[in-house]
Amino acid sequence: MLKTLLYINEDLASSIALRYTAYLNKFVPLSLFITHVEEPDEKEQVGTGWVRHTWEDGVASSGKRLIDRMLRTENIDCPLAGRPKVFVGDREKEITYELRNGMYKLFVEGYLNTADPDQFYEVISSPLYTKAPCPMLVVKNLSISKKCALLCADSVDPRDLVEKSMEILGDSTFSFDIVFFKFNENEKLKTLDRAEGGSHLQETESLLAKAGKSVEDVIVLSGTPEQVGDHLRDYALVASTLPSRKSMRMYVLANSLASVLLVR
Amino acid sequence: MKILVALDAKDYSRKIVKDVARLAENTLADIVFLGVQEKTNEPAKTLVSALLKYQSDVYSYFSSDELPYAEFSSDQWQEKAKGDWSLSTRGMKEFTLRIRTGSVAKQAITVAKELECDLIILGCSSKFGCEWDGEMNVPLRVAEDAPCSVLVIKQARNANQIVSILDQSVVKQDSLEMVNQLVTLHDAGLKIVGVKEKKESKNDEIEHRMVELLKYYNDREVGAWVKLVDSDNVKEYVTNSSREAIVALWMGGKQSLIKKLFSRSMVDKLLETTKSALLILR
Repeated sequence: MLKTLLYINEDLASSIALRYTAYLNKFVPLSLFITHVEEPDEKEQVGTGWVRHTWEDGVASSGKRLIDRMLRTENIDCPLAGRPKVFVGDREKEITYELRNGMYKLFVEGYLNTADPDQFYEVISSPLYTKAPCPMLVVKNLSISKKCALLCADSVDPRDLVEKSMEILGDSTFSFDIVFFKFNENEKLKTLDRAEGGSHLQETESLLAKAGKSVEDVIVLSGTPEQVGDHLRDYALVASTLPSRKSMRMYVLANSLASVLLVR
Repeated sequence: MKILVALDAKDYSRKIVKDVARLAENTLADIVFLGVQEKTNEPAKTLVSALLKYQSDVYSYFSSDELPYAEFSSDQWQEKAKGDWSLSTRGMKEFTLRIRTGSVAKQAITVAKELECDLIILGCSSKFGCEWDGEMNVPLRVAEDAPCSVLVIKQARNANQIVSILDQSVVKQDSLEMVNQLVTLHDAGLKIVGVKEKKESKNDEIEHRMVELLKYYNDREVGAWVKLVDSDNVKEYVTNSSREAIVALWMGGKQSLIKKLFSRSMVDKLLETTKSALLILR
């Protein structure tokens, strides 16, 4: 069972993330924990000692009620491994601390898919993502697919991609495709010969084979990030390494309609 | 559900009949085939035989025990009024052939109003964009002025994606079902695109609607995805989408942002750029 921390808020992205996580559980058995962070305004914060403690308890209770409401509304088919964890403080710091402290294997949160790639970059370049001790799953949409894609490009280290992705998906019942992305401003998305993927693609294939996974399809796509992102819609999730800059691959992930698993 | 299909004897009309039959099968709809001709004292023979042929094509799509429509008991057209003839039969569902004189767009809209139809379907030729018997504005006028939803089919069954554009307007169950039918008909995926307004306060409503739709379709095992697009970029987004996908525009009431954004000329442009079909939902 994969120890997973799902962050929820009372918003639509979280509502999608909750449902998606229940779907994911059918393919990757999860030991699921839910968390929420209440971030009070500076002005709201009061006192020290017992006074502060009582105030924090009050804030945390309202967070617990929020989680209860969300769980009741979504009524997901996935058992929780423990009580929801509600923290008061800075969201990123509290989650990072919990991920390290609880030795989670996966972090999941929802993201309402927009056409603005910069908004996606802001999320994945935050300290929560760049310093996370485990892979991060950004849930953008619900899915009925039974396939995952490993997204390769020249900038992706095949070893990091395969080894870290397989820590999450190795025991899953998903089938796998490898998608190699080449940027090109074509009018239409083109599928190139497999040889165009070069040594990175070959290495990814052989590492996956070593991990005991057979690849259903290997596709080399040449097009814009929008075209490739759209093409990825048929996957339950797309795994890739965390982009460290605004590269074309980052734009593909930003435009991906499928949820994105970021490994490091 | 009641579907009005505007037809003539041209190729673009013949090609949509199979899609109409499949839609009729999936929705068990009452069907009205409407032909429009120039002013004469009796129905034109070419139009009569075309409508009867289309009717027989729809009937042959069903197995005999599943056909919800009855055979015509007589081939006598009833003159309902001057220049308005009808041939109708009722089985489990009603099937009507109707011929009227006048202009196609005006008659289609009048009959749709009179019979309280839920959907008008018509084909168009891709020659010069989207034309009907040499006239460029027939599909546009029907799409713009109809009291109900309109599906203009340029090329039958040619899309693997339905791009559904919505704003804060109320989404009716019938419209949801219509999109569902299109998805089934084309074995396509559904992209639900929410148009973000500059006014932040309205965006919550749009996002809420998008996610509700996503859940609705996901529960029905329809591959659906959501995406938010700024109102400044939506026209370009929709025009680009219409080249590959079927665009479904939810045009709600007076407050509808999409209605404001998609002026007559924009709908005209979409009809021109689309390679498959355009659905206007009301």
